[in-house]
Amino acid sequence: MTHTQDKSSALGQGVLIFVYLTILTALEFFIAITFKSVSILIVVAVIKAALVMYYYMHIYKLNENSDDDTHSYSYKTDTNRLGLWLFLLSDSFVFAGLMAARINLLGFTRPPLNQLLGLAVTAVLLLSSFFMNRGETSMAHGDTKGFLNNIVITFFLGFGFLIGVVAVEWRLAAAEGLVASFGNPANGPMGGVFYIMTGMHAFHVFTGLIFLFVVWNNARKNIYSAEQHWGVEAVAVYWHFVDLVWIFFYPALYLIGKLIV
Amino acid sequence: MKKFFSTALARGLFWQLIGTLTGAGLVTGIRVLMGLSATDKFFFTEPAWVLGGFFGVLFFLAGNGSVSDWFKWARGIETPEHHEERYTGWEKYLNVSLDHKVIGIQYTVTALLLICVGGLFALIFRTELAQSQLQFLKVDMQLFGQNGPELYNTLMSLHGMIMIVSILLGVAGIMNYVVPLLLGAQDMAFPRLNAFSYWIAVPAAVLLLMSLVLGGFGTGWTGYPPLSARAPVGVQMFFLGVFTAGWSSILGALNVIVTVVRMRSKGMTAMRMPIFVWASVATSIIAMTATQLIGLSFQLVMFQRLFGMGFFDPAKGGNPVLFQHLFWFYSHPAVYVFVLPGLGVISELLPVFARKPLFGYRWVAMSSMGIALVGFLVWAHHMFTSGMNEYLRLPFMYSTLLVAIPTGVKFFSWVATIWKGKLTYPAAMLFVLGGIVSFLLGGLTGPPNATVSVDLHLHDTYFIVGHFHDTIFGGFVFPFFAALYYWFPKATGRRMNEFWGKVHFWLMTPSFFVLTLGMMRIGLLGMRRRIVDYDPALNFDSTHLVLTIAGYLIGLAVLIFIINFFHSISHGEKAEGNVWNSRSPEWQVPSPMPTHNYDQPFEVVGEPYDYGLAGSKYVEFAKPEKSKNK
Repeated sequence: MTHTQDKSSALGQGVLIFVYLTILTALEFFIAITFKSVSILIVVAVIKAALVMYYYMHIYKLNENSDDDTHSYSYKTDTNRLGLWLFLLSDSFVFAGLMAARINLLGFTRPPLNQLLGLAVTAVLLLSSFFMNRGETSMAHGDTKGFLNNIVITFFLGFGFLIGVVAVEWRLAAAEGLVASFGNPANGPMGGVFYIMTGMHAFHVFTGLIFLFVVWNNARKNIYSAEQHWGVEAVAVYWHFVDLVWIFFYPALYLIGKLIV
Repeated sequence: MKKFFSTALARGLFWQLIGTLTGAGLVTGIRVLMGLSATDKFFFTEPAWVLGGFFGVLFFLAGNGSVSDWFKWARGIETPEHHEERYTGWEKYLNVSLDHKVIGIQYTVTALLLICVGGLFALIFRTELAQSQLQFLKVDMQLFGQNGPELYNTLMSLHGMIMIVSILLGVAGIMNYVVPLLLGAQDMAFPRLNAFSYWIAVPAAVLLLMSLVLGGFGTGWTGYPPLSARAPVGVQMFFLGVFTAGWSSILGALNVIVTVVRMRSKGMTAMRMPIFVWASVATSIIAMTATQLIGLSFQLVMFQRLFGMGFFDPAKGGNPVLFQHLFWFYSHPAVYVFVLPGLGVISELLPVFARKPLFGYRWVAMSSMGIALVGFLVWAHHMFTSGMNEYLRLPFMYSTLLVAIPTGVKFFSWVATIWKGKLTYPAAMLFVLGGIVSFLLGGLTGPPNATVSVDLHLHDTYFIVGHFHDTIFGGFVFPFFAALYYWFPKATGRRMNEFWGKVHFWLMTPSFFVLTLGMMRIGLLGMRRRIVDYDPALNFDSTHLVLTIAGYLIGLAVLIFIINFFHSISHGEKAEGNVWNSRSPEWQVPSPMPTHNYDQPFEVVGEPYDYGLAGSKYVEFAKPEKSKNK
């Protein structure tokens, strides 16, 4: 694969996008507590999603046709990439369905959740996406050691997110009375919606952690190179996709609508 | 027998049993520790059965070896792109193979098996319906924890879902076998994913059948809550089975799309692809995306039952109509998943047997895509009577009527292709024509159902049942049989018996029209669907008797087909050349197809369906020695 950028400018771009995403997330939070405007929140989420899809997930690579020899590694990588993106398209229908269910069932109300914790786990996941990008960029330039370091950070941040949601947030919510079976005709089935949305997302984070471990383990055996590292790219795209879902789920669960106690 | 027990199929089933017991045991153990009840009516408790069913699928896949290469990759071990076939004969088909032709046949034979199971269920409840009053499914009988009418409901529901899974597998079978051959590819884009997609369907079928013995479920194949939220534990096995079968469909469809995009032969531009390839892409777009939502809707009911989540429970603020939206978002486009490949088969075969170019190739290709895309926008026409917002009725009525336009394009093309053609009538062609007629009947009875004012009266009557069977027989069953008669020589090097093929056709077709038209007649007069009994005062007894007899004749015809099919594999007349005188690339090489398909790559140099045009060619093989110049 040919790199159009040298390593430092590629890493610099990752930092810049991370700064943009951080600012937009802060803006999101600020809008939610001041204007309470759902349409602005949607616009911000779409911008964040576009940034992630273009600069972190490199969606434009789908258009690349790097080699005509059908038996070459890069030809197969292009084929694999198309397969992965189609899988993500299919998967996004699950999340879209959950989002539709949330809008239908809860409307403009939201469950009682710990705002600080929500912002914290969101920041942790965003940060993990940033380090994932650094890891992939390192590998694309043949720096296995840099990749290993970044992937370990990504893994622990992802793990922190998982613990933050499943072990902390779920317990706090249950203590507040938001158990799985909680729901009444006035407020809708809030428990069900909250646990299925965070649970489905957490399941994807969990599988992402397994994949992170797999590529970390394989990279230690030096089986990836600057030219041949489809496994690393696939895990990176998947990991950013998990972040992408959270870009929409976070405002849907924490920010929009009236709080119901 | 010893050989059978060492096959991947037998190993998978054994591990599924172990997995089921492990999962169920795990939950039961936890329940005992928590001081909850350990057993229930069907031995294990419901959560135990659910985790057991889930573990069963995982164990099946791990145990039969269809995922072992992926585990090797995860450990950094490389595997060859293709494994050498270790088995020959029937053993090849009961073991994990990466060859798309083997997988296509595995799919097809499994589909035929499930057609027999689903058909058998239909015959059982059709027999009960032959007369009013309860004959043998009586209230005082008990089987699998169900009384007679409950058993009727279970069989009726399972008939629906087993047939649907069978159709999905049949569609996947034909696509798997034919699409790479038409493209000139060596295999599908992801051979391991392809094998995985097939093998995950096997435990899914087992789960569906398990629902029958675990108390069944009386919800119909649609599984609407609140009824499905209260049904016996069997409904959970049904949900899990559909969920698992859904993954087979999603991943298989993904594979087809990538194969078509990435692996076409030189010169095969989009507008020179065979129509069947267009149809496969259209069907795969739906199957790959929308299928997620039937999985999600069933999963939500599953979780509602397990954890008390209130998605569809009005007492907790849930909304049962939401389920119907999620469910039909897949389940209406699903019928296009069933019929589009079949309609593609009709368009593919008709020029061969009419010896004429396919009329309006571009329009036919685009009509498949058109149906697929409009198909995403019509789902709520199933819900005109379900209490959804009334303002939704009109847009969904019009979007549904819109489907008739691309479908009409196909009919126009078929009629114009037949016109002044030099038709021959082997069994394959008979089934093509039967498909056209049947789909015409199904198509014409569709718009009345789509029209709100009429649908309010027709909803949930036998008219709908008749309409549905006409579309599915016309769009899938007839073309499926046509495809089997047509491509059978390609797979085996032998032909199926023509005489018995014609008997199959002439026995099945009239019986089938009697069946569906009879259903529509009593449906218009007020016969409700999905009920075990009806009022004798309605005077439907004689019609129902005729329907039952017609049903048995269809069963007999399919039985003749099955015997013919398996007999011809080893005893059919030899047919190794281009038996149908087709232009398609797969017929330019001798049958049966060699393991790695074409020895020489081919280049597309002309239009696919220019039959009768002197000197025209579709494909040209790169020939190392210029001896066979045709």
